[in-house]
Amino acid sequence: MKEKATRIRKNILHIANLALSPHVGSALSCTDILTTLYFKILRLEDYENRDIFILSKAHSAMALYATLHEKGLLSKEDMEGYYQNGGTLPAHTDRFTNPYIEISAGSLGHGLPIATGMAHAIQLKKSKQNVYVLMGDGESQEGSVWEAAMLAPKLELNNLIVMIDRNNLQGYGRADELLSYEPIDKKFEAFNWEVLRIDGHNYQSIEEALKFKTTKPKMIICDTTKGKGVDFMEDELIWHYYVVDDDVKSKALIQIEEALNEK
Amino acid sequence: MRNSVANEIKKIASKDSSLFVIAGDAGLGVWDDFNKSSQFINTGVNEQLDIGFGAGMSLMGHKVIYYNIAPFVIMRPYEFVRNDICYQELPMILIGTGSGITYAPAGVTHYVVEDITLASTMPNLDIFSPADPVEAVECFKYAYQSKKPSYIRIAKNGEKIIHTSKINITKPIFIHKSNSQNILILHGSIVDEISKILTIVDLNIISVPMLTSNFDWDSFLADYNKVFTLEEHFINGGFGTMLRDKCDKKIYKFGLKNEYIHEIGDRDYLREYYKIDGISIGRKIVETING
Repeated sequence: MKEKATRIRKNILHIANLALSPHVGSALSCTDILTTLYFKILRLEDYENRDIFILSKAHSAMALYATLHEKGLLSKEDMEGYYQNGGTLPAHTDRFTNPYIEISAGSLGHGLPIATGMAHAIQLKKSKQNVYVLMGDGESQEGSVWEAAMLAPKLELNNLIVMIDRNNLQGYGRADELLSYEPIDKKFEAFNWEVLRIDGHNYQSIEEALKFKTTKPKMIICDTTKGKGVDFMEDELIWHYYVVDDDVKSKALIQIEEALNEK
Repeated sequence: MRNSVANEIKKIASKDSSLFVIAGDAGLGVWDDFNKSSQFINTGVNEQLDIGFGAGMSLMGHKVIYYNIAPFVIMRPYEFVRNDICYQELPMILIGTGSGITYAPAGVTHYVVEDITLASTMPNLDIFSPADPVEAVECFKYAYQSKKPSYIRIAKNGEKIIHTSKINITKPIFIHKSNSQNILILHGSIVDEISKILTIVDLNIISVPMLTSNFDWDSFLADYNKVFTLEEHFINGGFGTMLRDKCDKKIYKFGLKNEYIHEIGDRDYLREYYKIDGISIGRKIVETING
């Protein structure tokens, strides 16, 4: 898993550098979650009955694109067309760009309502598909998230599994300084969700949490670090915005390679 | 119109299990015999959720209808309609009741006189404003078959039936034919002012149930002298404005001034107050023709 995640991180840096686009910190913080999802959990072989993954924090799109490429679901050429003039992939996801990109997203707070509708449709047809959502922690400040959070348990959507990439950095500050969502786990428990809280960079913990059985919709709070894998990016707000120029890329790649070789 | 459309929806739902209705805590007396169905959900008061949830079901193959009072359909969750439904090209049907100033006594939050303006900013959203229950049902049937998202604005219930024969809602429909060279184009519930208009002036009157249909207005209007539009909507940004953009003919627009309504009263009182009642419009038409 670590090797896969490393290749994904390298490709995030690669396309971030080609594009000189923002959001590399957000992409790196959820890489381990996406790696686990796509290589341990999501059942995608039967397309019509596939599990659904919604990247609601769609500004982390580079992570999804790199993961889809690693999975063989997105070509290198398409991945490298990210954010380019006349290119193939936008900065926030667009469902018309690839059959495994489920929704067009980017404005926060949309993914969970849509996922709730998808999960209910799956429930009505009595299918075994699951719907997975990855949200940002700042995203939980959106009212629409709580509208969906109220409905999901009422509909007994135990096929709905939501993760929050809790890196405690949002657009212009730390979540716990701006508008704290904590105790986020107790909030979702009060809404009658099954709530787990894990280290969002521990593959085993991620996998176990995703596989944890419950009759309720499930919320997994993943404690993460923005910019994970590159020490000068870790937990730094500026890497929500700063671009990966050639110098940054080469320094970052050294870090990622070193981390892979650590025991 | 409301109950006619609902009855048509229930009829289709009995044959099409993919049809699904979302009510945003609205619909007493409309959905009472349907609200226990697995094809219905009342989610409560959460407009953004309603659109997103509908989009999710639509992505999974359902034909979804969202029903609520019009400001809570197109105005409050506008961004969700734009991003989740229209940008994603989902064939969801949005039904907004209380169009225009139908619910004016309830105040500014419960009427819409700018909904066509909002809807028209979404390029692939078809907009329907039927004038009677027959038009309303035909608009719904069109939307049901359509692969595009649809917004149907209807007044309430109990409107007089105007059409007694088959109609095509994608074309203008004559309600009153005249030898006059002048024509009045209207949509929605303001149609019930036409009898008063005709006591003042005789001219052709047509209803346009589908505001976004691809119709050759230049050819249709070529032989008319004066062309008027009338709507229970802001005068700027409504169908009159759309028509001006669609054709070269000079259009004389009648509607509500683009100002917030602070006057308290019901629909008929406010139509007279703001001079969009039949008598006022008839007189304005005569002035324009003679001017």
